[in-house]
Amino acid sequence: MSSHLFKYPARRVMVAGFLALLGFSGQALAHNPMCECKSLGDDQIRCTGGFSDGSGAPGVTLDVIGYDETILVPGKLGSDSTLTFKRPEGEFYVLFDAGPGHIVEIDQADIE
Amino acid sequence: MSKAAAVAPSSALGRWWLKWRFHINILLLLIPLGFMPKYFADASLFRGDSGLGEREIGTVQVGPWSLQLAELRNEAPRPDGPAGYMKSFNAALCDTCIDQVKAAYLRIGKPRSLRAAGVIFFGTPYRMGATLPIPERTKDDAELWITLEGWDGSMHQASIPLSEASPATMAWLAQQGGKR
Repeated sequence: MSSHLFKYPARRVMVAGFLALLGFSGQALAHNPMCECKSLGDDQIRCTGGFSDGSGAPGVTLDVIGYDETILVPGKLGSDSTLTFKRPEGEFYVLFDAGPGHIVEIDQADIE
Repeated sequence: MSKAAAVAPSSALGRWWLKWRFHINILLLLIPLGFMPKYFADASLFRGDSGLGEREIGTVQVGPWSLQLAELRNEAPRPDGPAGYMKSFNAALCDTCIDQVKAAYLRIGKPRSLRAAGVIFFGTPYRMGATLPIPERTKDDAELWITLEGWDGSMHQASIPLSEASPATMAWLAQQGGKR
Protein backbone atom coordinates (compact mmCIF):
# COMPACT_ATOMS: atom_id res chain seq x y z
CA MET A 1 0.00 0.00 0.00
CA SER A 2 2.87 2.34 0.60
CA SER A 3 5.28 1.13 -2.04
CA HIS A 4 5.56 4.63 -3.48
CA LEU A 5 6.82 5.93 -0.09
CA PHE A 6 9.68 3.45 0.23
CA LYS A 7 11.43 3.50 -3.06
CA TYR A 8 14.93 2.12 -2.84
CA PRO A 9 16.97 5.29 -3.58
CA ALA A 10 15.37 7.21 -0.70
CA ARG A 11 16.17 4.45 1.71
CA ARG A 12 19.72 4.20 0.45
CA VAL A 13 20.21 7.90 1.10
CA MET A 14 18.89 7.49 4.65
CA VAL A 15 21.25 4.59 5.36
CA ALA A 16 24.18 6.54 3.94
CA GLY A 17 23.27 9.55 6.07
CA PHE A 18 23.05 7.43 9.19
CA LEU A 19 26.47 5.87 8.59
CA ALA A 20 27.94 9.31 7.89
CA LEU A 21 26.59 10.61 11.22
CA LEU A 22 28.28 7.70 13.01
CA GLY A 23 31.56 8.54 11.35
CA PHE A 24 31.56 12.23 12.20
CA SER A 25 30.65 11.94 15.87
CA GLY A 26 33.29 12.40 18.52
CA GLN A 27 35.69 14.54 16.49
CA ALA A 28 37.41 17.24 18.50
CA LEU A 29 39.01 20.16 16.69
CA ALA A 30 42.02 21.83 18.23
CA HIS A 31 43.98 24.87 17.12
CA ASN A 32 47.38 24.56 18.69
CA PRO A 33 49.99 27.20 17.88
CA MET A 34 52.88 26.18 15.69
CA CYS A 35 55.97 27.86 14.34
CA GLU A 36 58.78 26.88 12.02
CA CYS A 37 62.08 28.67 11.47
CA LYS A 38 64.46 28.17 8.57
CA SER A 39 67.87 29.53 7.86
CA LEU A 40 67.95 31.31 4.50
CA GLY A 41 71.73 31.64 4.33
CA ASP A 42 73.40 35.10 4.54
CA ASP A 43 72.70 34.93 8.31
CA GLN A 44 69.01 35.47 7.68
CA ILE A 45 66.31 33.42 9.44
CA ARG A 46 62.68 33.26 8.39
CA CYS A 47 60.03 32.12 10.85
CA THR A 48 56.48 31.17 9.86
CA GLY A 49 53.72 31.00 12.45
CA GLY A 50 50.24 29.57 12.36
CA PHE A 51 47.74 27.31 14.04
CA SER A 52 47.12 23.62 13.56
CA ASP A 53 43.62 24.24 12.18
CA GLY A 54 45.29 25.79 9.14
CA SER A 55 44.81 29.45 10.01
CA GLY A 56 47.67 31.92 9.76
CA ALA A 57 49.02 34.22 12.44
CA PRO A 58 49.49 37.72 10.97
CA GLY A 59 50.35 40.33 13.58
CA VAL A 60 51.26 37.80 16.27
CA THR A 61 54.30 38.62 18.40
CA LEU A 62 57.51 36.77 17.60
CA ASP A 63 60.51 37.66 19.72
CA VAL A 64 64.08 36.50 19.44
CA ILE A 65 65.40 36.18 22.97
CA GLY A 66 68.93 35.55 24.23
CA TYR A 67 69.73 32.82 26.73
CA ASP A 68 70.17 35.65 29.25
CA GLU A 69 66.49 36.61 28.66
CA THR A 70 67.25 39.89 26.85
CA ILE A 71 65.00 40.46 23.85
CA LEU A 72 67.29 40.68 20.83
CA VAL A 73 64.67 41.14 18.09
CA PRO A 74 61.18 42.27 19.12
CA GLY A 75 58.96 41.51 16.16
CA LYS A 76 55.51 40.85 14.82
CA LEU A 77 54.61 38.50 11.99
CA GLY A 78 53.70 40.20 8.72
CA SER A 79 50.52 39.76 6.72
CA ASP A 80 51.94 36.51 5.28
CA SER A 81 52.50 35.15 8.83
CA THR A 82 56.28 35.28 8.44
CA LEU A 83 59.11 37.31 9.89
CA THR A 84 62.64 37.46 8.54
CA PHE A 85 65.47 38.66 10.75
CA LYS A 86 69.25 38.60 10.97
CA ARG A 87 70.70 35.74 13.01
CA PRO A 88 71.83 37.35 16.27
CA GLU A 89 75.26 36.94 17.78
CA GLY A 90 75.39 34.54 20.69
CA GLU A 91 72.90 31.99 21.91
CA PHE A 92 69.19 32.63 21.44
CA TYR A 93 65.74 31.11 21.04
CA VAL A 94 62.67 32.18 19.09
CA LEU A 95 59.41 32.70 20.98
CA PHE A 96 56.16 32.67 19.01
CA ASP A 97 53.78 34.31 21.48
CA ALA A 98 50.05 34.24 20.65
CA GLY A 99 49.12 34.97 24.28
CA PRO A 100 49.71 33.37 27.69
CA GLY A 101 49.99 29.62 27.29
CA HIS A 102 49.85 29.87 23.49
CA ILE A 103 53.53 29.85 22.74
CA VAL A 104 56.05 27.93 20.71
CA GLU A 105 59.74 28.01 21.56
CA ILE A 106 62.36 27.18 18.99
CA ASP A 107 65.92 26.80 20.14
CA GLN A 108 68.74 28.03 17.88
CA ALA A 109 69.97 24.42 17.63
CA ASP A 110 66.69 23.48 15.90
CA ILE A 111 67.00 26.11 13.16
CA GLU A 112 68.50 24.58 10.03
CA MET B 1 3.48 1.53 -12.30
CA SER B 2 1.42 -1.61 -12.16
CA LYS B 3 1.00 -3.39 -8.84
CA ALA B 4 2.31 -6.70 -10.22
CA ALA B 5 5.60 -5.07 -11.22
CA ALA B 6 6.05 -3.57 -7.76
CA VAL B 7 5.66 -6.82 -5.76
CA ALA B 8 7.61 -9.15 -8.03
CA PRO B 9 11.02 -7.69 -8.96
CA SER B 10 12.65 -9.50 -11.83
CA SER B 11 16.24 -9.83 -10.52
CA ALA B 12 17.36 -12.30 -7.84
CA LEU B 13 18.90 -9.47 -5.80
CA GLY B 14 15.59 -7.61 -5.89
CA ARG B 15 13.71 -10.62 -4.63
CA TRP B 16 16.30 -11.21 -1.88
CA TRP B 17 16.04 -7.60 -0.76
CA LEU B 18 12.26 -7.74 -0.72
CA LYS B 19 12.33 -10.84 1.45
CA TRP B 20 14.94 -9.74 4.00
CA ARG B 21 14.72 -5.96 4.11
CA PHE B 22 12.92 -5.81 7.47
CA HIS B 23 15.40 -8.14 9.15
CA ILE B 24 18.31 -6.21 7.69
CA ASN B 25 16.86 -3.00 9.08
CA ILE B 26 16.72 -4.52 12.55
CA LEU B 27 20.42 -5.39 12.22
CA LEU B 28 21.05 -1.76 11.30
CA LEU B 29 19.46 -0.71 14.59
CA LEU B 30 21.86 -3.03 16.43
CA ILE B 31 24.99 -1.32 15.03
CA PRO B 32 24.85 1.68 17.44
CA LEU B 33 24.64 -0.70 20.39
CA GLY B 34 28.24 -1.73 19.72
CA PHE B 35 29.35 1.89 20.24
CA MET B 36 27.39 2.36 23.46
CA PRO B 37 30.07 1.24 25.99
CA LYS B 38 32.60 3.72 24.54
CA TYR B 39 29.98 6.45 24.37
CA PHE B 40 28.99 6.09 28.02
CA ALA B 41 32.64 5.77 29.16
CA ASP B 42 33.47 9.04 27.34
CA ALA B 43 30.37 10.81 28.68
CA SER B 44 31.32 9.79 32.21
CA LEU B 45 34.95 10.85 31.68
CA PHE B 46 34.07 14.30 30.35
CA ARG B 47 31.39 14.86 32.99
CA GLY B 48 33.93 13.94 35.69
CA ASP B 49 31.95 10.99 37.06
CA SER B 50 34.91 8.66 36.56
CA GLY B 51 37.45 11.01 38.14
CA LEU B 52 39.77 13.70 36.85
CA GLY B 53 41.03 11.58 33.99
CA GLU B 54 41.64 8.02 32.88
CA ARG B 55 44.79 7.81 34.98
CA GLU B 56 45.34 9.77 38.20
CA ILE B 57 48.94 10.93 38.68
CA GLY B 58 48.41 12.18 42.22
CA THR B 59 48.80 15.44 44.12
CA VAL B 60 51.75 17.68 43.32
CA GLN B 61 52.91 20.27 45.85
CA VAL B 62 53.82 23.55 44.12
CA GLY B 63 55.21 26.01 46.67
CA PRO B 64 52.38 26.90 49.07
CA TRP B 65 49.81 25.43 46.69
CA SER B 66 49.02 22.00 45.42
CA LEU B 67 47.11 20.49 42.54
CA GLN B 68 45.81 17.10 41.55
CA LEU B 69 47.02 15.92 38.17
CA ALA B 70 45.66 13.26 35.83
CA GLU B 71 46.11 12.04 32.29
CA LEU B 72 42.90 12.62 30.33
CA ARG B 73 43.60 9.44 28.37
CA ASN B 74 45.93 6.68 29.43
CA GLU B 75 47.47 6.47 25.99
CA ALA B 76 50.30 7.71 23.77
CA PRO B 77 50.28 11.31 22.45
CA ARG B 78 47.89 11.94 19.57
CA PRO B 79 49.09 13.63 16.36
CA ASP B 80 47.66 17.09 15.58
CA GLY B 81 48.85 17.62 12.03
CA PRO B 82 51.81 19.96 11.59
CA ALA B 83 51.69 21.00 15.27
CA GLY B 84 53.09 17.59 16.23
CA TYR B 85 52.03 15.14 18.90
CA MET B 86 49.78 16.29 21.74
CA LYS B 87 49.04 14.86 25.17
CA SER B 88 46.14 16.08 27.31
CA PHE B 89 46.31 16.47 31.08
CA ASN B 90 43.65 17.49 33.58
CA ALA B 91 44.23 19.21 36.91
CA ALA B 92 42.29 20.39 39.93
CA LEU B 93 43.60 23.09 42.27
CA CYS B 94 43.43 22.55 46.02
CA ASP B 95 40.34 24.10 47.61
CA THR B 96 42.23 26.78 49.50
CA CYS B 97 44.35 27.89 46.52
CA ILE B 98 41.53 28.37 44.00
CA ASP B 99 41.15 32.04 44.97
CA GLN B 100 44.89 32.67 44.95
CA VAL B 101 46.05 31.05 41.71
CA LYS B 102 45.65 33.09 38.55
CA ALA B 103 47.04 30.64 36.02
CA ALA B 104 48.58 27.19 35.77
CA TYR B 105 51.05 26.12 33.07
CA LEU B 106 52.59 22.84 31.97
CA ARG B 107 55.85 22.32 30.13
CA ILE B 108 58.39 19.59 29.43
CA GLY B 109 61.66 20.83 30.89
CA LYS B 110 62.21 23.83 33.16
CA PRO B 111 60.63 27.01 31.76
CA ARG B 112 63.04 29.78 30.77
CA SER B 113 60.63 32.47 31.96
CA LEU B 114 57.01 32.97 32.98
CA ARG B 115 56.30 34.07 29.43
CA ALA B 116 57.55 30.72 28.16
CA ALA B 117 55.99 28.67 30.96
CA GLY B 118 54.36 26.31 28.46
CA VAL B 119 50.72 25.55 27.75
CA ILE B 120 48.05 27.09 29.96
CA PHE B 121 45.31 25.19 31.76
CA PHE B 122 41.76 26.08 30.74
CA GLY B 123 38.50 25.65 32.54
CA THR B 124 37.11 25.64 36.05
CA PRO B 125 39.78 25.31 38.78
CA TYR B 126 38.05 22.13 39.91
CA ARG B 127 38.75 20.53 36.54
CA MET B 128 41.17 22.27 34.20
CA GLY B 129 42.60 20.87 31.00
CA ALA B 130 45.80 21.49 29.03
CA THR B 131 47.10 19.97 25.83
CA LEU B 132 50.86 19.64 25.86
CA PRO B 133 52.98 19.20 22.73
CA ILE B 134 55.38 16.27 23.11
CA PRO B 135 58.50 16.64 20.90
CA GLU B 136 59.54 13.29 19.44
CA ARG B 137 63.11 13.84 20.66
CA THR B 138 62.06 14.18 24.31
CA LYS B 139 64.65 12.46 26.51
CA ASP B 140 63.93 9.51 28.79
CA ASP B 141 64.73 11.54 31.90
CA ALA B 142 62.54 14.49 30.89
CA GLU B 143 60.55 16.24 33.58
CA LEU B 144 57.09 17.73 33.54
CA TRP B 145 57.18 21.23 35.04
CA ILE B 146 54.13 22.81 36.61
CA THR B 147 54.12 26.60 36.98
CA LEU B 148 51.50 28.34 39.11
CA GLU B 149 51.10 32.11 38.88
CA GLY B 150 49.33 33.87 41.75
CA TRP B 151 47.15 36.96 41.68
CA ASP B 152 49.72 38.55 44.00
CA GLY B 153 52.35 38.22 41.25
CA SER B 154 54.17 35.32 42.85
CA MET B 155 55.27 32.30 40.83
CA HIS B 156 55.86 28.79 42.08
CA GLN B 157 57.18 25.80 40.21
CA ALA B 158 57.43 22.06 40.73
CA SER B 159 58.38 19.12 38.57
CA ILE B 160 57.67 15.42 38.34
CA PRO B 161 59.40 12.89 36.08
CA LEU B 162 57.57 12.43 32.78
CA SER B 163 57.82 8.67 33.33
CA GLU B 164 55.70 9.14 36.45
CA ALA B 165 53.29 11.54 34.78
CA SER B 166 52.65 9.39 31.73
CA PRO B 167 54.11 5.89 31.33
CA ALA B 168 52.19 5.59 28.04
CA THR B 169 54.07 8.62 26.68
CA MET B 170 57.41 7.14 27.77
CA ALA B 171 56.57 3.87 25.99
CA TRP B 172 55.65 5.85 22.87
CA LEU B 173 58.89 7.85 23.04
CA ALA B 174 60.89 4.62 23.28
CA GLN B 175 59.23 3.50 20.05
CA GLN B 176 60.20 6.77 18.35
CA GLY B 177 63.86 5.95 19.14
CA GLY B 178 64.97 5.98 15.50
CA LYS B 179 63.85 9.58 14.96
CA ARG B 180 65.82 11.02 17.87
